[in-house]
Amino acid sequence: MKLCDGVKRNDRGVSESIGFMLIFTLVIVGIGLVTLYGYPMLLQQQVNADKRIMEKNLIVLQNDIKSITYKNVPYKETSLKVSGGSLTVYNTLFSPTSSSFRISDGSSVDVTFHPGQLQYESINAQQVIAIENGAVMARPMYAPGSVMVAEPRWFSDTDPITSKTTTVIPLIGLNSTIFMSQTGVGTVRMQVSTTNYTEISKPALSNQVTVYYTPDPNIYNFSVAWRNYFTNSLKWTETAPNTYRLPPTDTLVIKKYDIMVKSL
Amino acid sequence: MARLNDDAQWIVLMGFIVSFALFFLAIVISQSTVVGQTTAEAVLEFPKNDIVNVRSEVFSASALSSDNLTRVKNDISSLSLSRKNAIVSFRISEAPLGSPYNKTIEIHYNNGVTAYDETTSH
Repeated sequence: MKLCDGVKRNDRGVSESIGFMLIFTLVIVGIGLVTLYGYPMLLQQQVNADKRIMEKNLIVLQNDIKSITYKNVPYKETSLKVSGGSLTVYNTLFSPTSSSFRISDGSSVDVTFHPGQLQYESINAQQVIAIENGAVMARPMYAPGSVMVAEPRWFSDTDPITSKTTTVIPLIGLNSTIFMSQTGVGTVRMQVSTTNYTEISKPALSNQVTVYYTPDPNIYNFSVAWRNYFTNSLKWTETAPNTYRLPPTDTLVIKKYDIMVKSL
Repeated sequence: MARLNDDAQWIVLMGFIVSFALFFLAIVISQSTVVGQTTAEAVLEFPKNDIVNVRSEVFSASALSSDNLTRVKNDISSLSLSRKNAIVSFRISEAPLGSPYNKTIEIHYNNGVTAYDETTSH
């Protein structure tokens, strides 16, 4: 080979086989890196995506429940894909009983309620996401603590016209005739079955209205999520563990809904 | 030795550009589903029709005698609480002297997500 200025370049050191080996090594190292680090990362991404999709799916189901309870829609169905885990309905009569709520004012009101659960469990993601009493909550599988993904609609209202305070507590139970669980593509069919309406006003109602939450003694404990909701969002005071005192209210409305999960 | 032919380097460059573009597009698409869902939820949650219906009922009730008005008031409050899960109350009073209107109407609506208060003349 001749260079422009006429100096002759010596290219006896250039070897095709060494060049090939260099390129081949680069390729092998590239493949190795992708297999060792890229592929597990990709799998992790998939698991995270499954988790996020299921979080959204359960919010969609929560919206269905809202339509059934607050908007008088008699029946709702949603097709969804459960990936990376399974979706199970634990009905209100499931034994051993799951978590329960008790609302009592010490004299005229004493209601105990088992809400049942629609629960997604993913072994890969180590994650549990559940709909309980109209709330969507998530927690890690083998670590304590839980978080509320979407809040239920409990509320207190002070009417500026009458200056009366009303507290509305909807209790939403999920029922089913059989124990059901699914994974993959399925349709969640829900129907309203019974509703019950209780309204108690002062003077029958005392100032000591208290909500007791009994977490699930067997598997997943969502008491932290409920505590944060009661004490931060509703500004109730925690008088003892899982015991919450309402601020004085003139009227207490307890609305019980029973939703029948027809299929998963 | 064969000479290195670098005429087609733009193909490699194009490959890079296209793959990066696809990557960013994928991110944008994955975000768009979240945005669509939250917006749809916000629209679903807003009880526009409920408020419009309550207003129309209250305006037509403003012509009633005080006895009937109390009954209608209680009915509207109980019905909206039991059927729509919303606390509704209203007050109809005579408009202040010198006002061109007959009645002053105050409406309060709260369903736990949306609270609506209105004072209007009729």
